[in-house]
Amino acid sequence: MPGANDGHPRDSGDRPGGTAPTGQPRDSRNAPLAARLHGVSRSFGRVVALNDVDFELRPGEIHGLLGENGAGKTTLARVMAGLLAPDRGRVEIGGRALEGGGARTARELGVAMVHQHFSLVPRFTGFENVLLFNGGGWTRRGRLRRGFRERVEARAAELGLAVELDLPVEELGMVERQRVEILKALAGPTRVLILDEPTTVLAPQEVSGLFAVLARVARAGTGVVLVAHKLDEVLAAADRMTVLRGGARVLTRPRGDATEAGLVAAMVGRGGVGDGGRVTRKRPDGAPADRAEAGDAVADGGGGDQANPPVAELRRVTAGDPEGERIVDLSLEVRRGEIVGIAGVGGNGQRTLAAVLAGVRKPVRGEVRIPREVGWIPQDRVEEGLVGDFTVAENVAFALHGSADFRNGPWLDWKRVGRTAAEMVAGMEVRGGGAGDRAGRLSGGNQQKVVAGRELLRSRILLVAESPARGLDVRATAQLRGRIARLARDGPGPPGIVLVSTDLDEILELADRILVMVRGRLLPLPPHGRHPDAIGHLMLAATTSSPTPPPTPTP
Amino acid sequence: MTPPSLSAALRRWPLLRPATALLATAAVTAALLALGGHHPGAVFATLIRGAFGTWDRFLSGTLLRATPLLLTGLAVAVAFRARVLNIGAEGQLHAGALAGVAVAVLLPGATGLVLLPATLLAAALAGALWAAVPAAMKTAMGVGEVITTLLMNFVALYLAQFLVQGPLQEARGVFNQTDEIPAAAHLPPLFPGTRLHLGFLIGLGLAFALWLYLTRTPGGFRMRAVGASVRAAEVSGRFRALPVIWMTFLASGIVAGLAGWIQVAGVTRRMYEGLSPGWGYTAIAVALLARLHPLWVIPAAILFGALSAGGGAMQREAGVPEVWVRGIEALVILAVLAVDQTARARADGGGRD
Repeated sequence: MPGANDGHPRDSGDRPGGTAPTGQPRDSRNAPLAARLHGVSRSFGRVVALNDVDFELRPGEIHGLLGENGAGKTTLARVMAGLLAPDRGRVEIGGRALEGGGARTARELGVAMVHQHFSLVPRFTGFENVLLFNGGGWTRRGRLRRGFRERVEARAAELGLAVELDLPVEELGMVERQRVEILKALAGPTRVLILDEPTTVLAPQEVSGLFAVLARVARAGTGVVLVAHKLDEVLAAADRMTVLRGGARVLTRPRGDATEAGLVAAMVGRGGVGDGGRVTRKRPDGAPADRAEAGDAVADGGGGDQANPPVAELRRVTAGDPEGERIVDLSLEVRRGEIVGIAGVGGNGQRTLAAVLAGVRKPVRGEVRIPREVGWIPQDRVEEGLVGDFTVAENVAFALHGSADFRNGPWLDWKRVGRTAAEMVAGMEVRGGGAGDRAGRLSGGNQQKVVAGRELLRSRILLVAESPARGLDVRATAQLRGRIARLARDGPGPPGIVLVSTDLDEILELADRILVMVRGRLLPLPPHGRHPDAIGHLMLAATTSSPTPPPTPTP
Repeated sequence: MTPPSLSAALRRWPLLRPATALLATAAVTAALLALGGHHPGAVFATLIRGAFGTWDRFLSGTLLRATPLLLTGLAVAVAFRARVLNIGAEGQLHAGALAGVAVAVLLPGATGLVLLPATLLAAALAGALWAAVPAAMKTAMGVGEVITTLLMNFVALYLAQFLVQGPLQEARGVFNQTDEIPAAAHLPPLFPGTRLHLGFLIGLGLAFALWLYLTRTPGGFRMRAVGASVRAAEVSGRFRALPVIWMTFLASGIVAGLAGWIQVAGVTRRMYEGLSPGWGYTAIAVALLARLHPLWVIPAAILFGALSAGGGAMQREAGVPEVWVRGIEALVILAVLAVDQTARARADGGGRD
């Protein structure tokens, strides 16, 4: 294929007469749209995921697709990628109808999608994964096409994607996997690139890197669809944005005409975020406004609080998981009523720290004192937090099956489990299914509410929350954060909370004291360092330059 | 609304799936029979008469033949529920039969009250031991159990061959079989004058017990959780999957081991080469047809028992060779898998966000 075609599949010239087979393009510039959806509807059983949606994607634009959990964003993306056939309506890619769906047809027309949960073969190297998705890499006789490797590398360089091509994907971090996924999508000619919630796995600094890549992709003429739920990100990256609510398109605006408040109103449709979910903003020094004394006492790490002994204590703990993510000689104390924020670039040991605190991973060295029952909202909700084939009640039973309260002689008391699950479903406002429905039927955000709700049941003494709001929409995020903030000052014996997050805003909003995780160690903030820039600096400076991070202080 | 498709219907009513699979099997079989010059209706009628025609055919034919399939089917179903792919019910069955016979022959003086429990215990332990080898290899070394359980079948088969030709051979030394076990070790018939024995009731009881265990107890919940996702079990359930996997291997081996000895104690009264015509493998079809549900294993086993019992009549009365029955069994497996896949086909598109 000629190099000029890279990133831009067939130009309009290869269509006779330049007319779309079905209808005239609406675009006044008369260039074919990168993609166009006309009156698309799609239902799953009784649930209407998309209702008569029109959507246009221009070549060379980044188009933000916004909406609450369950608004239909992913369904729309999947319809466009040919992964789902619409019940009604028409999909055109570059002016050609995508008849009856079909991922292969969509791919041939130049559509590529980066899924929220990556679709890579873990044992294959990055290059093999790229090859797998790009038939152009093979000759007819099944040999590797000469020069393909070089072209892939050149493409990566051109896009500014630093990709490790020769390691098995399972050995790569989330960020690197995403780069492989993007390169995989863009190695061939691409007219439409769809990214489903691509920023959820990234640290703030990495997000801007991703957006730079997307800008380069768009400049080459590809239409980019950015599915997201974080407004500031979409406002930063997108040229235009479309808001879906309840499966219908609410508005489409160019960036210049969009305001954060207007978009939130469009997404939520209830005139803003509910009061119940509002979080008390902290004072600039970081202590929560309404419990300044207690917060200050712990925030400076004063270990001598006799009245409030730690509920969890790690002393010089070294541990790791088989994937090589580890903590080294790490010490940490968590007391009741405090929220300890752990910031850091993903993959620096946060996973292992959380698993050790939850009692799932045993340390190689060091002393671990943790409560018998710990709430843990794990990072990977779909694989680890839930069983899709189990009902919501059965998923809640993960937290209850060992408790004597939910036993009746040798039997598990499913009635009580069901009642508890139903209360949780109501309390967390889980939508799309009840306690008796399969958890796999729920949308991603609602599945996450189930996980969070279940772990809150376990959090009487200690809660470890890994990016708890990841993947939730504006309203649900505010509600969950509010719940966590209230939990920390709940009643006479509130639990201690460890908040592990790559989202600095989340940490700054909730945490009483902040530690930064770098290469398996915890670094304290410098005095007056409670600021995104200072934290970001600590996260990055230590990852890139300093070969030996400073020793972990005992908090 | 889209018109209801077959796959949607299969998804909504899971019970339709085995029914569809059986209908498909019957259709294909009928077509093949017609091609072979037989009259499908007449052949099926003969088959059904042979299996259900009289009380004696039903009790002494169908249910008697269903008994080992019921037990091994349960062994496979329980294992598969925890995603322990035990292909070794055949070997565990032989191990159980050998151990039971050995105890019965070596303790001839014991009374029934002692001997029968002792033989059942020995059979259970032997089945568990046979399953423990693949369990250890899986949990300690990560060796896939499909291969190890399968290979352990051959070890059991050849061990049985060796024992009935040597150490356990009958005193007369004529045939490659053991002496007849003492009457105290017999499983009594359920109804006078029929061959159906207490083992069938043991099978029914085990099916019920396993169903209760899987659905109503914390241990059963953990087993199903491990079957669904080991990582979810460990992260969300906070329990270690390895002990559960061990438990599952042992439970499956115990049930399969009992199947072997129950066949000897209830029917053959001695152990010989070729005791099982492959029940341990047919059990996989039984378990899959039952959708791994212990209670549904009962009708599934009876169906396969009926095929086996009716096959004889089919050969005698309709002139259709009995090997057709083996073909039908294989078709059932294919149909079950095809139907499950059809049901799953569009379910994958269900994720929304």
